[in-house]
Amino acid sequence: MKEIVKNESESDRSSRRNFLKKVGIGVGAVSIAGIAGSSVLAASKAKSGEKIKLLSPDGTLVEVDKDDIKPASEIVADLKEEARAGLPNRKFSMVIDLARCKNARKCVEACQEGHLLPKDHEWMKLYLLQDDIHTAKYWFPRPCFHCDKPMCVSVCPVGATYKRPDGIVLIDNQRCIGCKFCMTGCPFSARVFNWKDPEVKVPEGHVYDPETNIPATEGTVGKCIFCADKLRKNELPRCVTACPMGVIYFGDILEDTVTNGNETERFSKLMVDRAGYRYREELGTLPSVYYLPPTQRMFPVESGLEDTDESIKGRYKNVGPR
Amino acid sequence: MKKLSIFAILILSLLPVFSIRLFSQEVTKISPYIQLQYFKNTDDQRILQTSLTYSKNRMELPLSGMEISFYSGGDQKRLITTGVTDNKGVVRLELKSDIELKSDKDGMWGFSSEYKGNDTIDAGKSEITIKDVRLEMALTVIDTIKTITVKAFTKVNGTEKPVSGEAVKIYVPRMFSLLPISELTLDESGTAITEFPSDLPGNKDGNLTIIAKFEENPTFGNVEKRETLKWGLTTDYSVPSTHRALWTKTAPRWMIYTLSVLLAGVWGHYLFAIISLIRIRIEAKRKAREEYKI
Amino acid sequence: MNQLRVGIKMSVHDNKFIWNQKKTMDADNKLLKDLTPELEKTSLTWYITFSIFFAVFAVGVYGLIQQIDKGHIVTGMRDNVVWGFYIVNFIFFMGLSYSGALISGVLHLFHTGWRKPVIRIAELITVISLIIGPFFIFFCIGRLDRLYFLFIHARIQSPITWDVIAIITDLVGCFTYLYLSFIEDFAILRDYADLNVPPWKKKLYKALSLGFTGTPKEKKILKNARIIMAAMIIAIAIIVYSVLAWIFGVTLQPGWHSTIFGPYFVIAAVFSGTGLLIILMWIFRKIYHLEEYITKRHFVNVGVLLTVIAAFYGYFTFSDYLTKWYGSIKMDSILIDKLFTDYYSLFIFANYIGILLPCIIIAFPRFRTIPNITIAAIIAISALWVNRYIIVIPTLETPFLPIQDTRPAWITYSPTWVEWSLTLAGVAVFAMLFMLVSKIAPIISISEMQEKDENEIMK
Repeated sequence: MKEIVKNESESDRSSRRNFLKKVGIGVGAVSIAGIAGSSVLAASKAKSGEKIKLLSPDGTLVEVDKDDIKPASEIVADLKEEARAGLPNRKFSMVIDLARCKNARKCVEACQEGHLLPKDHEWMKLYLLQDDIHTAKYWFPRPCFHCDKPMCVSVCPVGATYKRPDGIVLIDNQRCIGCKFCMTGCPFSARVFNWKDPEVKVPEGHVYDPETNIPATEGTVGKCIFCADKLRKNELPRCVTACPMGVIYFGDILEDTVTNGNETERFSKLMVDRAGYRYREELGTLPSVYYLPPTQRMFPVESGLEDTDESIKGRYKNVGPR
Repeated sequence: MKKLSIFAILILSLLPVFSIRLFSQEVTKISPYIQLQYFKNTDDQRILQTSLTYSKNRMELPLSGMEISFYSGGDQKRLITTGVTDNKGVVRLELKSDIELKSDKDGMWGFSSEYKGNDTIDAGKSEITIKDVRLEMALTVIDTIKTITVKAFTKVNGTEKPVSGEAVKIYVPRMFSLLPISELTLDESGTAITEFPSDLPGNKDGNLTIIAKFEENPTFGNVEKRETLKWGLTTDYSVPSTHRALWTKTAPRWMIYTLSVLLAGVWGHYLFAIISLIRIRIEAKRKAREEYKI
Repeated sequence: MNQLRVGIKMSVHDNKFIWNQKKTMDADNKLLKDLTPELEKTSLTWYITFSIFFAVFAVGVYGLIQQIDKGHIVTGMRDNVVWGFYIVNFIFFMGLSYSGALISGVLHLFHTGWRKPVIRIAELITVISLIIGPFFIFFCIGRLDRLYFLFIHARIQSPITWDVIAIITDLVGCFTYLYLSFIEDFAILRDYADLNVPPWKKKLYKALSLGFTGTPKEKKILKNARIIMAAMIIAIAIIVYSVLAWIFGVTLQPGWHSTIFGPYFVIAAVFSGTGLLIILMWIFRKIYHLEEYITKRHFVNVGVLLTVIAAFYGYFTFSDYLTKWYGSIKMDSILIDKLFTDYYSLFIFANYIGILLPCIIIAFPRFRTIPNITIAAIIAISALWVNRYIIVIPTLETPFLPIQDTRPAWITYSPTWVEWSLTLAGVAVFAMLFMLVSKIAPIISISEMQEKDENEIMK
């Protein structure tokens, strides 16, 4: 059920953040405080006298002295710092119910749409796995696992990818040099590379922020980022809300709660009741994505191939034990 | 004259055909889903919420920027105000004065919201009738067991009577949604008692919020009572910035020491070689000067 | 009486130690007569060969421009096989540099006599391949405009940072060592009056020789410096190549996560370096007519070295694959299956033929001829390149999560013309640099050979 009364300060913060990102020339928080009247910044600089009209977060038109405006590069630096700090006192995890997944691929599409990805980039990938001829076939959605001991972060030579305290592993595409060591480091093939110019249209005045990771840049690496920009607004990642079967649960496990948008469960209870596990636990990377085994399916696995595009169906020709 | 009138009749009879063709060329209007809900929160603030959405490809999409009219009263409708839906297709109205909250013969309030429609969207209307209810929630610790006691009363002819048989749900709000704790049914005295789990994490101080609510109750709408208290486990999760590992910003100490020692050792030897070269040069120059003198 | 004779000999040689500015040709200096013609004139064949190599290089440059312009999509690398030819070539060229470390460094420390004619070639291989190797890394990097981030944002927990530090250290060390070995030669060339070279070359020799005059003190300084650097080179070589091996070894990928990778790569590198040394010995012997200096004995000795190293290399390879195959976890057995089906011929060539054939050729005296030994070296070096290929690519083609894709380029790696052209360009640049250096410095170290003469006279 929806909450009516929103936390005021949170909505202020998120709207300011969105405002910062939408206004391409970049207005710093200090500048907005300057408008309100404390004007510490204004006092320290000699004004040029040139004024610019801007729309403040509460919708009023204000005039700001040009000297009070921060350059876009500083804005990006601020956003990057916030992106590295993350959300305080949170630890995000995902639980994927393999018993419900039927390859609807709505998660893939929502992710590609939300992050302006070219069609051949799949941050969320769907596999059809069968470990042994006697074991069950199952659809396996694989986002980035945001491991607690991430190999990709350990091997990055320039620190372009990093693990932040709330558990999310992000990529700074302005620092990535494209050596692809992280791609060979990741045992789960979670990362994709921009082999050519992705040619996506970026919205006007967009400022780079690792939490949205738009746009994909040629020669750098991309991966699922647990929709860190949405988490700041207390919204669920795009794949979670897009899934018609409610396969993906997401939550802050410090609160011991995960939700798929409709059902909310206690994480610990879900794990114990449904015997949750992590993929390839023995590799020791400590993933943050848990899986619920594909028991007691309500529909056969093959139904996942029914409504699928021919080009995608061809992927699953040789499914079976390797 | 006769010919003219026959001609006119023919043309007039063909008009419906034209108009039918016009109609058949017309785009079918979107049929919206309009839902009116009543909310009463813990501070006794009453809110009417209307959401306007439509269905496309089995997905529900919002209709934003549409004007919704709120009416109170069941049969004699009275316009309260109008509002415009936001980007989620939702518009809210806070009910303030008694004029808006005029009850009918059964002590019920009638509300409705209407959407007039436009060229592409059909009109829609939603009606609800609400009875005011007073919900109480008491959070006490009885014999070291955290207990929630819920009571609900309605006013009938000026006197308060308990509500029985209705479902009250207990939630703890979390980051993205409400975590259901239990679902209670009010007994004849309008009371329900339940235990609150003692192993639920709270925030870093152990505080959490508990909500008791009627959820989409056909009579009462959505009524909730919430309270924040220290009934949760403390969760202080912070990775110290001085943490050193393979994946942190600062490397483990032994790595830094090993690397420094190795590099110092090797480049130290290089320095020795460079100094040797310099010494050769100096020695050769000295020799050349000596020979010159001789 | 004998002591007196020795005393007279000593005094005669005292005079010879101190070289004057104008020294005329001496019967003893047959070396100079044989080696300097290459410094003096350049034949037409040289120009033609150089132009051919330059043309190959130019095609490579064109390929690189295409790659920078259109992005890495012009290569065969895709999301699973993200490291292809470029990394294989990088490891290969870095490995070649170990010939210098071993032949030059180890044999120098052990004062082995027969090494003298070949050490110059070995040291040159070291430095030139160390220059070329890192370029292949650059080709593999997606954002060349951000290369300097490797220095200003370096994370020391990353094996690539270790590699950057190690390669720079190795380059400086090998350059220094090479230069130390050049000083005496440049001094000799500077003093050789009959040297018929353009004035700029004479100036170059004078500047680079640092005024070295061959006094005992100077020689002692030089000798100590060379011993220190020789020891360092050996240590650096082992560290650098181990670090390179650990770029693969520390990951979790099947086939790479092997504890033996460090020593295995070092041995394989020495193997390739030694093979290249034999090939270059043969080439220079033929074109510069150095049959007198580089004799069959040298070929046999380096060949025996090749055999011994081949034996070690074979041992390490066998050990690695045996343990992977015997108690095999699933991913290892999938990988080995792939090696024995899709990569069967390459695997047999690299790990059986490449090891056994050189050993057989050199082990039996009947087969031990100079052309045969050279062929053995060619097989060895090609086998090693293929071995590098089947270490890097099959692992990337068998990830933990199976590749489920419909596009063939994303499933199997197939190099494109850009990658081939850049590989050949690397070889061409190697050849060109060698040809250029051989026109400035003698390809056999004159001072080393002379030292041998003096030692023999002293006896």
